[in-house]
Amino acid sequence: MRDQSSRTQNSTASRTFSRWIPAIVAPIVIGVGVILVPMQATAAVDLPDKTPAELVQFAAESPAQPLSGTIEQRSELGLPDLSGLTGALGGAGGDGSSAPAAASSADLEQLLSLALGSHTARVYLDGPNARLQVLDPLAERNVYRNADGVWIYDSAEKAATHITVDQAAVEALKAELQTGHADAGAGAEMPTPEAMLDQALARLDESTAVTVGTDALVAGRAAYELVLTPRDSGTLVGQISVAIDGQTGTALAASVTARGADTPAFSIAFTDVTFAAPDPAVFAFTPPAGTAVTEKPIPVPTAAELQQAKAEAGSGDAGSVDSAAKPVLHGTGWTTVVELPAGALGAPASGPLDTVTQPVDGGRVLTTSLVTVLFTSDGRAFAGAVDVATLQAAASAPAASSGR
Amino acid sequence: MTGFAIETAGLSKRFRAQMAVDGIDLAVPSGSVFGFLGPNGSGKTTTIRMLLGLVAASSGSARVLGTDMPRGVGSVLPRVGALVEGPAFLPFLSGAANLRRFDAADRSAGGRSRPARVADALDRVGLSHAADKKVHAYSLGMKQRLGLANALLVPRDLLVLDEPTNGLDPQGTREVRNLIRSLAGDGTTVFVSSHLLAEVEQICTHVGVMRAGRLVTQGTLDDFRSTGAVSVRLQTPDVADARAVLARLGLTVDAPAGTPARAGGPADATRLVTARLDATPPEAVVAALVAAGVRVRGFEAAHASLEQRFVELTGEGFDVVQ
Amino acid sequence: MRAERRGSTAALFGSELLTLFRRRRTVALLAALALIPVLIGVAIRLAGDAGSGRGPAFLDQITNNGLFVGVTAIIVAIPLFLPLTIGVVAGDTIAGEASHGTLRYLLIAPAGRLRLLAVKYLSAGVFCLAASLTVVVVGTLVGWALFPIGPVTLLSGSTVSVGEGLLRLLGIAAYVCVSLLGLSAIGLFLSTLTTVPVGAMAATAILAVVAQIIGALPQLDWLHPWLFSEHWLGFADLLRDPVQWASFADNALLQAGYILVFGALACGRFLTKDILS
Repeated sequence: MRDQSSRTQNSTASRTFSRWIPAIVAPIVIGVGVILVPMQATAAVDLPDKTPAELVQFAAESPAQPLSGTIEQRSELGLPDLSGLTGALGGAGGDGSSAPAAASSADLEQLLSLALGSHTARVYLDGPNARLQVLDPLAERNVYRNADGVWIYDSAEKAATHITVDQAAVEALKAELQTGHADAGAGAEMPTPEAMLDQALARLDESTAVTVGTDALVAGRAAYELVLTPRDSGTLVGQISVAIDGQTGTALAASVTARGADTPAFSIAFTDVTFAAPDPAVFAFTPPAGTAVTEKPIPVPTAAELQQAKAEAGSGDAGSVDSAAKPVLHGTGWTTVVELPAGALGAPASGPLDTVTQPVDGGRVLTTSLVTVLFTSDGRAFAGAVDVATLQAAASAPAASSGR
Repeated sequence: MTGFAIETAGLSKRFRAQMAVDGIDLAVPSGSVFGFLGPNGSGKTTTIRMLLGLVAASSGSARVLGTDMPRGVGSVLPRVGALVEGPAFLPFLSGAANLRRFDAADRSAGGRSRPARVADALDRVGLSHAADKKVHAYSLGMKQRLGLANALLVPRDLLVLDEPTNGLDPQGTREVRNLIRSLAGDGTTVFVSSHLLAEVEQICTHVGVMRAGRLVTQGTLDDFRSTGAVSVRLQTPDVADARAVLARLGLTVDAPAGTPARAGGPADATRLVTARLDATPPEAVVAALVAAGVRVRGFEAAHASLEQRFVELTGEGFDVVQ
Repeated sequence: MRAERRGSTAALFGSELLTLFRRRRTVALLAALALIPVLIGVAIRLAGDAGSGRGPAFLDQITNNGLFVGVTAIIVAIPLFLPLTIGVVAGDTIAGEASHGTLRYLLIAPAGRLRLLAVKYLSAGVFCLAASLTVVVVGTLVGWALFPIGPVTLLSGSTVSVGEGLLRLLGIAAYVCVSLLGLSAIGLFLSTLTTVPVGAMAATAILAVVAQIIGALPQLDWLHPWLFSEHWLGFADLLRDPVQWASFADNALLQAGYILVFGALACGRFLTKDILS
């Protein structure tokens, strides 16, 4: 009797336990899946070895592939609040007298958030057609490039900008330049692509160590990794890594890591990609009813104008009105500092800008992990992938102020 | 069906520190009407829940209709109709809709004959007129009837009825009694738990008594009665003499003084003397009384009533056993 | 054994659905949900355009196209009202039967514990669909009655016909229904823990709110991909051109994970539970 009851007791207990098994197994299965799937994605891949030069050449020579894919852009620049900054700039421009300044500030805001923000986007490429579809929550920003020009559409603003270039003028310019080039280069030796690449690499090599990293799977495709490491320790940039598809030579991912950091401050990568021509319909855009459309034709300079501009830039003519707003470069390579003369950003930044900057000697500074921007008290702005001291040095250098 | 409709071995249920059911060996013969008795909290309902697979036994085993429970829940329960701890229905549905719902839950019940089954069951408990009334408008007695109807949806081999006449008027109580009798007549085993001893006495062939989680006794109703002591009821005016004789014969005399059985003169009034008869034959008692000159006006040797027996086994009153 | 089974699980499911949708409380929940698009439509009809950039997304599109009433109503309903109604229905599944005492009669019918749990979950799922369809369909009808209806401008700037717009609205209803299935599984599990249905209902609704609060905290962003509410607003991907099915798939996978884990927990609990109610 005792035996029987203890046996049934055991079987009852084991039956009770067996009914909890699914509840124990389910999280384990999910956990294993969560660990295994990314492990598969980072599983060892072995592509035929390439030297850095071969890899750069492979990437450069590969024709642009028609593709569609999803890219994820992640930005941890350490910006306090980007919208605050662009808002301040936009507001400052709006307060200024000139309308174009306001428009350019709005454009700047859009471009900054597109270029520096974190978002997920779809990319479609097919020959001359391209589209970037930024998937915002409950909204969408689009850049279409097709035969009609470039359309920028923002669903939240319900605004479209149409940028057009006179194709005929471009063709004419091209033809003119080509004949001019042919004249100029008649005596010179036609450089082979290899020679040009070698030259480029050699020049790059002076400032940057170019290496090939470990092969990896990116968006499910075997890819090479090209690693650029600045030799100049004065820059904030620690390393730039580019993943290049082993089959097509298309760049699949890029990331910038700050000096001394473990994780990239900025990365952009395909999470999935298909190398096939997308449906042509994805490139078509007609502004929907009720959309504010801004037309922006871009004037095409003639060859003569281009020549003149070149000459002006070469001679460093400081007398013209235009050059007041033109940026000035200090230094070379990774530690190049860009100087924007006073007035380039519209009226001096007020209140909102103060919230994202800190006061330093000679002005206020905006610090991020990769880029530092110095707004001097006299209205100039200095920016570069360098520390504040380098910017201050550039600001106090006599050459900088001579431009004014 | 032969043998036992319900058979348990060492069936126990422990709720944390308390032993609700403590190793009971229940044996309910097929075809019997088994009265399951016990004070509140003695473990009757927990036992019933274990038999029906609602509660898992802590130890021991239970077989219902020849199949181990709770493993056989799916195959056995369609043959078992039950009323457990009072009827329960969704108040916002009609009586018929509630029955259809429970019937649909039974995998072995076909869908086509469902309306007919529901109508039959309602008719059987006299609720046809209230079939489409929402249950929240039902009286306690109507709900009780509906609960019985649910137990009778399909022909059953075993009925487990927990307090089936609770809330019913005398008329309804008699109907239920007749219903149980007729079902038992058809060969259905009926397992009735009840407080109403008179009712159990009228319809049951077998009884089992629970006390503090233990099965104190079980067997046929006749055995149950006869195992108890036989008591003597003597009607006589000669109380003192009678008591002396009974005591001399070794009987335990109950009351210190006889009570008047009938109104009459103080000297000549007939009084009742009761005593417990142990091994002494009743005829020997009568002979001794007559020989002693006691005027025997009435004499009865009878088994104790079920209630007396019940109180003997479970203690005084219906106190909740802790 | 199998040949004996004349009644099917479909019959139990059908009876469960009848019980659910004939219940006045269920009807009241759906009516409350239907009230959201009605209020939005009437308010905009009376007050006029709210102006761009104010209020929920798509609100400013309604005066141009009544089809956006349903979309706007979904955006308004998804953070609180829909989870609340789902909490009531899913939290009631087992605990409600237990509190009425009908659970024991269903089990001795016998319904089979696993079968009953599955049927209860399925009917909660049907309620999810009914709830999201109510908002979208009533929204569309209100929009149709109060505003002009025309080709639908998608987020990408392209325009599709009214027919395709309606199809996409149905897609949104399906997406929202899928979004709520994980929460339903949580509600089902909580419902097996108690015999007090209000407790399970409240706990489910509170969890929905907590998940969304966590989802709004950037400090906890490592947790965000695991929240059942993570993709709740992803239905906007059905309003893009081309449609981004990826979020539909991500959402379905996430919800399936929740169904698996909480379904298994509910099974473990319900199959071993002593029914004392």
